[in-house]
Amino acid sequence: MLHETDSANNILELSDYRVGFRTERGLAKAVDGVSLSLKRGSTLAIVGESGSGKTVLNRGIMGLLGANIIEGGSAKFQGEELVNTNRQKLWGTKMAMIFQDPMTSLNPVMKVGNQVSEPLRLHQGMSRKEARDRTVELFTLVGIPEPAKRFGEYPHQLSGGMRQRVMISIALAIEPDILIADEPTTSLDVTVQKYILDLLVDVQSKSNMSMVIITHDLGVARGRADEIMVMYGGRIMEKAPSETVFQEMKHPYTQALLSSIPRLNDPKHTRLTPIEGFPPDIVDGPQGCKFAARCKYAQDTCLTLAPEETTIDKHTYFCHFPVGTDAGSEALKSNEDKGFTAAGLRIKSKGEVV
Amino acid sequence: MNEEQEINADEVTNDSQASEEETNISDSTQLEVSEFADKKTLGFGFWLATFWLVLISFLAVFSPILPFKDADKNYIAYEQKENPLTGKVQERPVQPPYAPSGEHWLGTDQDARDILSRTIEGARISLAVGALTALFGMIVGGTLGMIAGYFKGILDKIVGAIFLVVLSFPGLILAILIVALLDRSLLTISVTLGILGVAPIGRLARAQTLSFSEREFVMAAETLGAKKSRILIKELLPNVLIPMSTLAMLVIAVAIVGEGTLAFLGLSVQNSATWGKLILTGSGLSTLESSPWVAFVPMGFLFLTVASFNYLSDRIRDYFDVRDIFVTRD
Amino acid sequence: MPKPIRRLIGLLGLLTIVSMVTFGAMNFLGDPLFNILGPVAADVDNPESLKVIEEAKAQYHLDKSLPERWARWAWDFVRGDFGVQFSSSGQPPVSDLIKERLPRTLELMAVAQIIAVSLAIPWSVLAASRANRRTDKISTITAFAFVSIPSFAMAVILFYFFSVQWDLLPDTYTATDPFWGISHDHRLIQLILPGFTLGIGSAAAYQRLLRTDLITTLQQDFILMAKSKGVSKRRVLYSHALRPSLFSMITLLAINIGFMIGGSLVVEQFFRIPGIGSAVVEATLREDFPVVLAIVMIVSAGFMVFNYLADYLYTLIDPRVRNEDTSKPRKITSMGM
Repeated sequence: MLHETDSANNILELSDYRVGFRTERGLAKAVDGVSLSLKRGSTLAIVGESGSGKTVLNRGIMGLLGANIIEGGSAKFQGEELVNTNRQKLWGTKMAMIFQDPMTSLNPVMKVGNQVSEPLRLHQGMSRKEARDRTVELFTLVGIPEPAKRFGEYPHQLSGGMRQRVMISIALAIEPDILIADEPTTSLDVTVQKYILDLLVDVQSKSNMSMVIITHDLGVARGRADEIMVMYGGRIMEKAPSETVFQEMKHPYTQALLSSIPRLNDPKHTRLTPIEGFPPDIVDGPQGCKFAARCKYAQDTCLTLAPEETTIDKHTYFCHFPVGTDAGSEALKSNEDKGFTAAGLRIKSKGEVV
Repeated sequence: MNEEQEINADEVTNDSQASEEETNISDSTQLEVSEFADKKTLGFGFWLATFWLVLISFLAVFSPILPFKDADKNYIAYEQKENPLTGKVQERPVQPPYAPSGEHWLGTDQDARDILSRTIEGARISLAVGALTALFGMIVGGTLGMIAGYFKGILDKIVGAIFLVVLSFPGLILAILIVALLDRSLLTISVTLGILGVAPIGRLARAQTLSFSEREFVMAAETLGAKKSRILIKELLPNVLIPMSTLAMLVIAVAIVGEGTLAFLGLSVQNSATWGKLILTGSGLSTLESSPWVAFVPMGFLFLTVASFNYLSDRIRDYFDVRDIFVTRD
Repeated sequence: MPKPIRRLIGLLGLLTIVSMVTFGAMNFLGDPLFNILGPVAADVDNPESLKVIEEAKAQYHLDKSLPERWARWAWDFVRGDFGVQFSSSGQPPVSDLIKERLPRTLELMAVAQIIAVSLAIPWSVLAASRANRRTDKISTITAFAFVSIPSFAMAVILFYFFSVQWDLLPDTYTATDPFWGISHDHRLIQLILPGFTLGIGSAAAYQRLLRTDLITTLQQDFILMAKSKGVSKRRVLYSHALRPSLFSMITLLAINIGFMIGGSLVVEQFFRIPGIGSAVVEATLREDFPVVLAIVMIVSAGFMVFNYLADYLYTLIDPRVRNEDTSKPRKITSMGM
């Protein structure tokens, strides 16, 4: 199992959590056995490409997926089992969510002020006036200029950054114990992204709520999350305290993710290495390691045998040939010599994917 | 088959998640997982509707040689009854209307005429009106629309204006005006109702022609030097015909309803029993009280036929992904 | 020129053409003189009759050419003079008839549309919230059936059950009373049956549109957002999902209202409501051309105005299109009479 922690101190504890969708072809295992624990007041970043199951995981925890799914394993929120229960009582009181695209996740025909004050009036019993005052206060807090005037405007009248600030005010209005931010900055300008992220972290630390940030960008997680979890094909690939992931990454997928995104301190014209191929089929997926087909390190074992969990200190990973270990270097070298991996992926000697 | 699968899926859902009533607003949630769209099938209802239309058309066309009762004959029944004056038991006529029985499956009207036979007799006229109307609408509307869509320019403008004017008329008033001023023959009524279908059919034909005339196969034919008339008939018509015929089915439904409406205004086809007229004769207060079947039998036939045409049109439009929404009204 | 104004001018042009076509058709197909004078009009051999004919021709400008007569009629019409009723004794002005009949039709229409909308909204919400489940499937079939029942059939059905069988509702309208004369409650009861006759069909048509739009809306992110805020299911449906889903329905509603200004002729006829619809039927059968012409003009104008409004009405629900002209609802072609 994962590292032992005082469970009373954990706001969220998943063990072998699974979410499946019924499809015509069979069960699609969108989340395939995830275990994690989140401490009160800390931040977890879940990183992965689209299709890695990170969004399903979080919506699954919140119980927002509808009836067409099958949930399995265990997910405990403040010690209470969530799996296969109705979580409606937690919505808007203990859990809050920030969605990726504030344009589509704000009601286009409702004044933004009312969208913020709605949970205040519904759950905190505020009068119309109290809720309005509180909303204006929250708008000020998240840095919306002319908050009283913005109250009566519609989402389309605001810029992307302002809309996301409105979303954050909604989350803050709820004063949740846990805030799940699903790609909170993906749809925003690069210049606004940093501001919004810092704002989120700022309000999170002030209010001592726990936060889960879902992102495909490792850079977003760096310095903001206490812990980073890398997901692929519905499974955990690697999980470690934030800096550990950057300093001593063990999983080839983490490595590939990191080299596929630009960094500010990169020299000009740095060539980015995109990850070749597509996420695996989650209905009829590979037997062994989910990433094997796209992995430079892949050996025959990877194709047939799913890797076991390895935990060193607080660093957990699932890999037969981890980066930076002897086994890993050997595997990579033998693949480079052959020119292709066990899964048939062609690679150049430098390690670049052809 | 499609229906069955969906219902089974429902049951599984209900069993597995007890809390779904509260938590779930809509089954479908858009996620990273692509849910596989339902396969396109026409479904059970499609075949049911087709079956009904084939049956009623068959009965209508072949009713003269089928062993139905004479639609115009008075089948007075007699019974042995004591004459209150003389006290003798003698054969006396029973007062019609007669309720449905082994003799008259769907009953008789107040003149002891067989309702089933009369309804099938009515189907002949009503279906003929529907077919002629759709034919007129398709020929006139389709031709105008295709010409407008293919030649564009000034022709398109003129045809568009004609459609606009036709659509601006209050349809039913136009119809009663023409029918009242001309005559009440089958042809006049069909053509009048057909005029109402010209503009919708024409607009659809124009839009389809417009989009298809930009496609490769038409371009290819043009560069090969094919004559315009040939392109219109050989290349474009087959592609315009399917969406147009779905609309034509709606036009048939509208025409059948339209005939009934005219009948209720006293303006239906002269000297023949149509569904509209049969319903009208059955809908008087005393007739409804004593023999509701006189009105409800032809009404049932009319409803099934109109619903079948509507449904077929709907399904085929879905199947071929025709996006426009048509709303029929009366 | 701004688009709305250009469209208005276009509508005026259309109305002019409609009046010309109607005017021409009536004069070609019918015989106005005969309608004014009766059998005398044919009796040209008799000098006595001939004199009457000449007088009538002069009085009604029948000796003039068709375009000139149309021009005279149009000039009178725009000044509010609709002419006289040929077929009524004493030839009272057409406007008297309209003033008497139009309010009845408008009232019927209002009752019918209120019934339709108040049935359609909860019905659609119920169906959409259970999309593709049994409740929804049954309601879809029901809506389909109601759409396929013509109004004359619906009239007979409702009349049979509510008046003949159960004797709950009055079947006829107190035709002899003037519109403003009788007590309003009394007339509203009389309008229940005709109102439902028209309203149920409309409700079903609205339901079909609104359900589809609601299902689309319910898949939007902002619905998930509202749910995650802890908004109750009911509130999500009615205050978050409903309003942005109303566009297609509003469009059809406007088209329907425009259309029903002509009165549903059959319903007025069946329930003996002396509205504008039954007026035009009577006038047509008697070939009372000034009446027909005036009603055709009023109905066409109303029809066009509401069609025109339909295009601008959804700006009321959607703040996004108030300024710019972006998203348009699905194209709705209405067909029928």
